Amino acid sequence: MERRTFLNFTILSGAALALEGCGNPGTQLVRFIPEEDLVPGVAVLKPSVCAMCSAGCGIQVRVMEGEAEVVRNGQFGIVKMGLAKKLAGNPEHPVSRGKLCARGEAGLQVAYNPDRIQHPLKRSGQRGSGKFTQVSWDEAIEELLTHLRPLASAHESKSIAFLTRPQRGQRAVLIERFLSGFDGAAWVRFEFFDDGVLRKANQLSFGYEQLPTVDLGHSGYVTSFGADFLGTWNSPVAQSAGYGKMRQNRSGVRGKFVQVESRVSQTGANADEWVAAHPGTEGLLALGIAHVILKEKLAHAETAGAAGALIEGWREGLPASSPEAIAWKTGVPPETITRLAREMAARSPAVAIVGGAPLAQTNGLFTALAVNALNALLGSVGKPGGLEFTPEAPLPAAKAGRDNSGEGKSGSVRALAQQILSGQPRPVEALLLHEANPVFATPLGWRVKEALEKVPFIASFGSFLDETSRLADLILPDHSFLESWVDDVPESGTTQSVVSVAPPAMRPLYDTRSLPDVLLDLGHRLGGHISEVLPWKSYEEMLQATLAPLAHHDGSIKTKDGGEFWNKIQEQGGWWSAEATAAPKAKAAASHFNAMKYQEAEFAGSAGEYPFYFLPYASQLFYDGRHANLPWMQEIPEVLSTGMWGTWVEINPRAAATLQIEQGDLVEVASPHGKVRAPVLLSPGIAPDLIAIPVGQGHEEYGRYASGRGANPIKVLAPQVEPTTGALAWAGTRVSITKVGKGELILLSGGPTQWSQEKIAR
Amino acid sequence: MAHRWGMAIDLDRCTGCEACVAACHAENNIATVNADQAAKGRTMHWIHVERYWEGEFPNIRARFQPVLCQQCDAAPCEPVCPTYASYHNPEGLNAQVYNRCIGTRYCANACPYSVRYFNWFNPAWDKPLQLQLNPDVSVREVGVMEKCTFCNQRILAAEIKAKAENRELQDGEVKPACVQSCPPTAMVFGDLNDANSQVSRMAGSVRATILLEEVGTLPKVIYLERESSHGNE
Ligand code: SF4
Ligand code: SF4
Ligand code: SF4
Repeated sequence: MERRTFLNFTILSGAALALEGCGNPGTQLVRFIPEEDLVPGVAVLKPSVCAMCSAGCGIQVRVMEGEAEVVRNGQFGIVKMGLAKKLAGNPEHPVSRGKLCARGEAGLQVAYNPDRIQHPLKRSGQRGSGKFTQVSWDEAIEELLTHLRPLASAHESKSIAFLTRPQRGQRAVLIERFLSGFDGAAWVRFEFFDDGVLRKANQLSFGYEQLPTVDLGHSGYVTSFGADFLGTWNSPVAQSAGYGKMRQNRSGVRGKFVQVESRVSQTGANADEWVAAHPGTEGLLALGIAHVILKEKLAHAETAGAAGALIEGWREGLPASSPEAIAWKTGVPPETITRLAREMAARSPAVAIVGGAPLAQTNGLFTALAVNALNALLGSVGKPGGLEFTPEAPLPAAKAGRDNSGEGKSGSVRALAQQILSGQPRPVEALLLHEANPVFATPLGWRVKEALEKVPFIASFGSFLDETSRLADLILPDHSFLESWVDDVPESGTTQSVVSVAPPAMRPLYDTRSLPDVLLDLGHRLGGHISEVLPWKSYEEMLQATLAPLAHHDGSIKTKDGGEFWNKIQEQGGWWSAEATAAPKAKAAASHFNAMKYQEAEFAGSAGEYPFYFLPYASQLFYDGRHANLPWMQEIPEVLSTGMWGTWVEINPRAAATLQIEQGDLVEVASPHGKVRAPVLLSPGIAPDLIAIPVGQGHEEYGRYASGRGANPIKVLAPQVEPTTGALAWAGTRVSITKVGKGELILLSGGPTQWSQEKIAR
Repeated sequence: MAHRWGMAIDLDRCTGCEACVAACHAENNIATVNADQAAKGRTMHWIHVERYWEGEFPNIRARFQPVLCQQCDAAPCEPVCPTYASYHNPEGLNAQVYNRCIGTRYCANACPYSVRYFNWFNPAWDKPLQLQLNPDVSVREVGVMEKCTFCNQRILAAEIKAKAENRELQDGEVKPACVQSCPPTAMVFGDLNDANSQVSRMAGSVRATILLEEVGTLPKVIYLERESSHGNE
């Protein structure tokens, strides 16, 4: 924290005030003495970790000298400093291997976003009015402590909740320990595109409560049930790298790729064969394929081990799931099912992936278990070309911070809302908030906004005002990730055990403080138990201490000397082991779990009144909406629609024709739970009984680029859940569609043109 | 021997992920316009991904093709420019000299691939987004045409570095921003004069194609056709 900041009293005036308009009340700018010694025009590459999604790609930040308007010790001025200019993948990092996705590239615009909160704020108007006044860090910390102190005393009947996005690594350890000082504190890690169903299924089937690492590069045949694995799901950069190799890397071998889904996703567009199964029947289709494999004795039922035992009728060869029996339910012809089964068995290693919409159904857990059983039957688990699980980091168990049971969950926020509204088991007196935005990303039926409004005190640590953080009473803004110590323990995307860590790539621009440092500071001031379990003065000190044991494990750093190890790990951007394959744990956790049988997915809304299935899908550019405040993400065309700066409603051209709806018409999409309006995009890649809207736009408040733009399909969703995990069944709502006027689509391509592509004559 | 820079894009690897587009914006100081201007077709994506639908539901698929300046050897954009702003540089690249450009837009009309972009306004970055600007690339102004440069600044930097170290450039040493980011490694960049470079080998593939061969532009961007795997091969 103690930054040596000198003021050099060169007062700029006249011509130098070309830099005015910066929000500085005065007319004179102070020029600070440069904080670091950089050669002008020469770039330095610094490691960091991408914070744009949960994959945890290691990145390389290109830093060059530049002049920035900054705040130092409360004083506004100009300084020459190292500035991040470009992000790229870290070539050494086992997850990214030098590659980066579009969202990752835009990490720069988080740091340099004009709507970042630059200093602590205290609410000055009505809650939610968006009126705040600037306060100092001392005032903000004092204010926060007056609310926390009483709750940290023993036997307090009220408690606090901490609402964040999923967190891993030492950040997770820190938050957990901080909260251990409050009786009955709840840590809610919210993620709209919740993978909890798959984690649960993987635990039951294979003994790993984590997302899989798919060894696509060695696979001969890939079948994906709904997973957008080249776009937004799991570890997209690592998976894309594997996909490239699967297609064109082995002479004479080109892996085949089949995608099962009811709307062509970015991933599905690349499939050799695209199979449209009705929403919610994907698990049944997996059983049909397994049925053929078993019946034709292409593999033995026992091969599937614990994963097979979870499916009722598995040993008997799934008599109820013959291709003929399931064809009408799935909408997939029996011949196709039989052929797919034979191909999978013949072109080993074959692997099946499941994720996204099929799991966001009331029967999602069954679907995941069925695909897992198919995988096990294909012998793909723990084998090259199949599914693997990233080995755990060799840090003392709970300290690795990869407590997957607490990974991002959507349902946890519903439980929090219920707790707040009912005051049971104990009232939530204070809410700490960091970046999660459930007011935007939960169905209205969960009453999250109403609940949060009832919490007596809310403090937010996020960098932006959004639908949730605008309810805060106090804002203690975090650094951007490029200005922070970063660390992570990737859950998937590699067969190496990885602990990423890196120092700040650049100095902070504003009067912000990193969340871990603020929590450590609060811990000291609160004293007692919290300060005992968090003895470190800074997050840097904590990371150095907690990661030190890694020096004694074989891995990418060959020194056992503590100081040297600490230097090296920062230089590399982390520590990683050699590759290792984690075999399925025999019998898994399945023994006490009754075998499941297929049950139809339940959809909210009657088919008569609401004739269409509804798919709110993860946006290629905004993901769950968190990147809608980045101008690059707004203006880069989404690849399938070529849409920019807005929302559209996708409908099949034939379905639209029967409703006399045309491209660009403004329509209202309504469910029993809510409605939105947006212009229509006729899309040939969507089933005639499905309506799809990308998630991400429709922010009421999220900075100048996103606020008031487009529509938020989440507000149409019914509060359906997958019953075992409580995950939101976001693909389980039905809707109607009505034309209400003319709208405007902003598309890059005018129409279906095609370049003529000629073979090079030789 | 002089370099002859070229790019090969394997459409069997390209996933339509848009990483190349984002990387290009970041590297080359490409301004975003806004929704109104975007609706008028005034965005400036030096590289964009074309999407073609084929077939009808349920036998439907989409194909992707990233399109950037094809760096034509016989570039129709060059002879039409009255000020020689659009010209051929010594390494065969089609370069744009911004301070010669007077904005006639003849070149954009002449380019058969529609990959030249006009600055209808002075580009503006809401503070402090200007801090993201790459000091190695000049910022354009109103009335000027711009387009993909094959990340010439990266080519020059690598050439200077190799020269300072008194050695030849290695194949793969120069990576334009799009190539660097591309997650499935669909894009490969290198010297077409070096028969052993990866890009030359890809250009010799049976899948190698060029865009609009009939217009005779002799592009240095080579596309490798997407394949398909059917049945139980
Ligand atoms: S997949 Fe993209 S957003 Fe996610 S961590 Fe990797 S680069 Fe970042
Ligand atoms: S693609 Fe267009 S802009 Fe590029 S060299 Fe050819 S004619 Fe000129
Ligand atoms: S980055 Fe690569 S895979 Fe992605 S769209 Fe561009 S060329 Fe295709």
